[in-house]
Amino acid sequence: MSYLKALNLRQAVALLRGNPGRIRVVAGATDLSLQEMPQVALDITALPETTGLETADGFFSLGAALTHSEIANSHPVRHKATALTEACASIGSPQIRNVGTLGGNVINAAPAADAAVALVALGAGAVMINLEGKTREEAVEDLYAGFNQTIIDSGSEIMLKLVIRPCAANEGSSFERFASRKALALPMVNGAARVEVVDGFFRSVRLVLAPINPAPTRLLNLEEKLQGAPVTEETYKKIETEAAAEVEVRASLLRCTAQYRSHLIGVLAARVVRKAAERALERK
Amino acid sequence: MPKDLETLTREKKVETDFQSSEVWAKVAGKAVYGIDLILPGMLYGKILRSPHPHARIKSIDTSAAESISGVRTVITAENFSCKPYGIVVDDELPLACGRVRYIGDEVAAVAAVDWKTAEEAAKAIKVEYEVLPSVFKPEEALAEGSPQLHEDFPGNVAWQRDLERGDADAAFGDADLVVESAFSIPAIHAAYLEPIACVAVNDNYTGLTLHTALQSPDSVRTIVAKVLEMPLSRVRVVGPVMGGGFGGKVYGNLNLYIISSMLAIKTGSPVKMLLTREEEFIAGRPMIAAEIKLKMALCRDGTILARESDIITDNGAYSAQAPWVSKTISERNDSVYRIPNIKTRVRLVYTNKVPTGQYRSYGNQAANFATESLIDMAAKKLGIDPLQLRLLNCTRKGDLTVHGLQIKSCALADCLQAAADEIGWEKKIRGRGYGLSAAIHANGSIVFDKNFRGASALARLELDGRVTIFTGEQDYGQGAHTAFTIIAARALGLPPGLVTIQSRDTLISPFSLGALAMRQTTIGGRAVQLAAEKLREKIEITAVEAGSESTGLREGAVNGSSANLIDLAALARYYHGKTSGLNLVGEGKYVPEESDYDESGYGNISVTYSFAAHAAEVEIDRTTGELTLHRIVAVHDSGRIINLLSAIGQVYGGVTQGLGMSCYEGYLFEAGRVANSTFADYKIPTSLDVPVIDYQFVERGDPEGPYGSKGLGEIVMVPVLGAIANAVADAAGDWVTDLPITAEKIYQLMAGWECE
Repeated sequence: MSYLKALNLRQAVALLRGNPGRIRVVAGATDLSLQEMPQVALDITALPETTGLETADGFFSLGAALTHSEIANSHPVRHKATALTEACASIGSPQIRNVGTLGGNVINAAPAADAAVALVALGAGAVMINLEGKTREEAVEDLYAGFNQTIIDSGSEIMLKLVIRPCAANEGSSFERFASRKALALPMVNGAARVEVVDGFFRSVRLVLAPINPAPTRLLNLEEKLQGAPVTEETYKKIETEAAAEVEVRASLLRCTAQYRSHLIGVLAARVVRKAAERALERK
Repeated sequence: MPKDLETLTREKKVETDFQSSEVWAKVAGKAVYGIDLILPGMLYGKILRSPHPHARIKSIDTSAAESISGVRTVITAENFSCKPYGIVVDDELPLACGRVRYIGDEVAAVAAVDWKTAEEAAKAIKVEYEVLPSVFKPEEALAEGSPQLHEDFPGNVAWQRDLERGDADAAFGDADLVVESAFSIPAIHAAYLEPIACVAVNDNYTGLTLHTALQSPDSVRTIVAKVLEMPLSRVRVVGPVMGGGFGGKVYGNLNLYIISSMLAIKTGSPVKMLLTREEEFIAGRPMIAAEIKLKMALCRDGTILARESDIITDNGAYSAQAPWVSKTISERNDSVYRIPNIKTRVRLVYTNKVPTGQYRSYGNQAANFATESLIDMAAKKLGIDPLQLRLLNCTRKGDLTVHGLQIKSCALADCLQAAADEIGWEKKIRGRGYGLSAAIHANGSIVFDKNFRGASALARLELDGRVTIFTGEQDYGQGAHTAFTIIAARALGLPPGLVTIQSRDTLISPFSLGALAMRQTTIGGRAVQLAAEKLREKIEITAVEAGSESTGLREGAVNGSSANLIDLAALARYYHGKTSGLNLVGEGKYVPEESDYDESGYGNISVTYSFAAHAAEVEIDRTTGELTLHRIVAVHDSGRIINLLSAIGQVYGGVTQGLGMSCYEGYLFEAGRVANSTFADYKIPTSLDVPVIDYQFVERGDPEGPYGSKGLGEIVMVPVLGAIANAVADAAGDWVTDLPITAEKIYQLMAGWECE
């Protein structure tokens, strides 16, 4: 296997063009050795286009090759996309967080990838560029094509950045995970929420839980029911019962039974919505 | 920053803070471990393992593997006799003879010029199997008509013990209260950082040398010589630095050593082999899983009258040390309290799973989980404070326990009181759970070999005036050699920096049982003390003979800084010249005459015993069952502490392993296959999971151990399990009786769920 590191986007695209069928884009590559190794790995973590962190046209533009540590330490992200900060800070270990990247977390497409769960809750979009130099933007939640699969072809496409609309003054977000130990453990359940609160009522809620399906799963029915619901203890109680009822989960010998996972789905759903609402109210 | 010897001496903290030079090599990344070894012309060996839990081998075709370029040899069972060998029970073979009994069983092995070629060649060996019915649960293995694993062990029972002391039945009849419960403990990986690795070298002149780090090199070379039918003096073990052992490297992986030796014999080249971490999990020797049924009889006032236990231990396919571990599980905890009547049945049962062995404390910690939970269950039913129940019954100095242990020193009651005081037993914080647990552990148990009770050592005065101690006892990170250095220095009246410990070569070190059964400081250390004292005596006599005006040995003796001290270098050279080449040598042998036992195992099986009490403080999130460990208090009676820094390290490490076993660890199986064969899936605690650990040493001394010291290395892990289990029960209202104690199990208990 050869490992190439592109220094600019033109070089990266040229290398992709020159190695059809045998090259794969990597950014961090922390999970690569667990998979079938490509003949050529193309490292895109040195491109200016994949490493910026800026606000443009009212949106956060986060380079896809930013590491989890870089995201977790970003003050603007912490302030206005808190769920992503919390998610990135809880991935793996310090070593993994210093190498693993935001885009990698999405494209690796693990069903309960922490950053991906937060990104879907925040309503993030992903911007890709192809071999012709054309860019396209897709919602992160629409990128998934199956277990550990996305619609992005890592042999002919590069994810450049993720775009997030920062939380407004009446919005808040939150992420939480539940695992068998405090670090280096896949979660039994993780979840994230983004809420907008107006006059003590939820105007909108995005609520995502995993692992349920191959992709981070929005609880669409519950989201709809919560529109206009009061920010009260009764509502949180309702979230706890209805979240668990809306989805079906599987048992895992290594992690937990389906019954317990289902219970945790309810608990975490209520927790992340509550925390997000508290943040929305604090920010006012 | 580490302090140099001079600073420490000035601060008079030499003995408490001193660390042997090997420690600094490890810290600096300069230590050479077994896994690092490279010898000229070395080949690499790989094992082909069984993919089936139980199958007959119909044929093995090695021709394709042999024809691969770079392959030097392929071996199968045909290269060995098909006579089973074993540590306690003879049931194991280096390579399978016609039948495999677990997924991972060794079928064939290759030696090639590099790892990749060896792996390819192992895969190219064609084996035809006839799959046989398997059995994975011990209770099913015991049932009539179950698949039989070994012809020599009908009914799948590898080892069994039925024992009665006193009259338990009568005591149960007289009791005011009988409590009973069943407990379940999974198989546990010793989780040493360095996987087992060895390089075997064979030549016709010196014989076979195994370069591998072992806790008990002499025991291993004895077995290797026997299986390979070589004279014992032709088998030598040379130890590189060991990357952790925790009991798992007492015997390490015997088949690996035997196979690599055979590959070296066949090829005439050094052969390196190692277990990958996955192989460690699927074909290592984890500590046996146990199902423990316990019943205890008590008076209304809390006096314990009797205990009955029915224990089934899950042997896996072969026995390793599992009979000894089963015995410890079934017996050692009986001596924590004054229990006059005992009835015990323990059966070690074969299943088609990974063979088992031992882990730090030989199963005493598994039994502690069960017995200490039951103590608290009884306290709750009687309405007696668990601390008071323990203080009422605990073993004390001067006792002769139900199994015949002579308790010559014991501060258990003080340990219990101190642990309770420190955790805040009388001022508990609302919403938190508190638990106590007590333990005993033998120092150098002689159950392994009744005819080998003690240890020996040599102390040699070098020509430069330094002293070398030759011992077969091993330091694998636990600090044994630091302790030996301090003991020898104290006996000689020299600074520890002038003493070097040599133990890593069986050709020159005295024969030893090695680092097991908490025998290093107490037994090995005593031999070192005696050897050093003998040398000192000889030095003093020789000094008189040499016409020295002084016979005093004090610090600084060798540099001649003080006029009335012996110049050791000059004295060594004097003796050297006089004898044409000899050094002054002190021989030390320590043979505890009182250690003995009868056919039933009754007797003082060890020279002395260490005691401990731990307390845990926990909190439970009632919505999820999530457990927060706030603090573990570890109070130990290990006699007088020889080296405080090492002792504290032992407590931190042992408590962490104890909480790992309590809350995180355990083998999981799917139809005989290990489901969590990586450290990603087999969870040991991370640094974030370790609570505050507070230690205390109750230093009352001991009449037997060197300078009043007793062992600490194994007992540190033991009481953690009971303390956490009881703290969780205090918070949750009931006991989780199967390890590990996970959030899910706690939640199930509190929610009243039926387990799925």
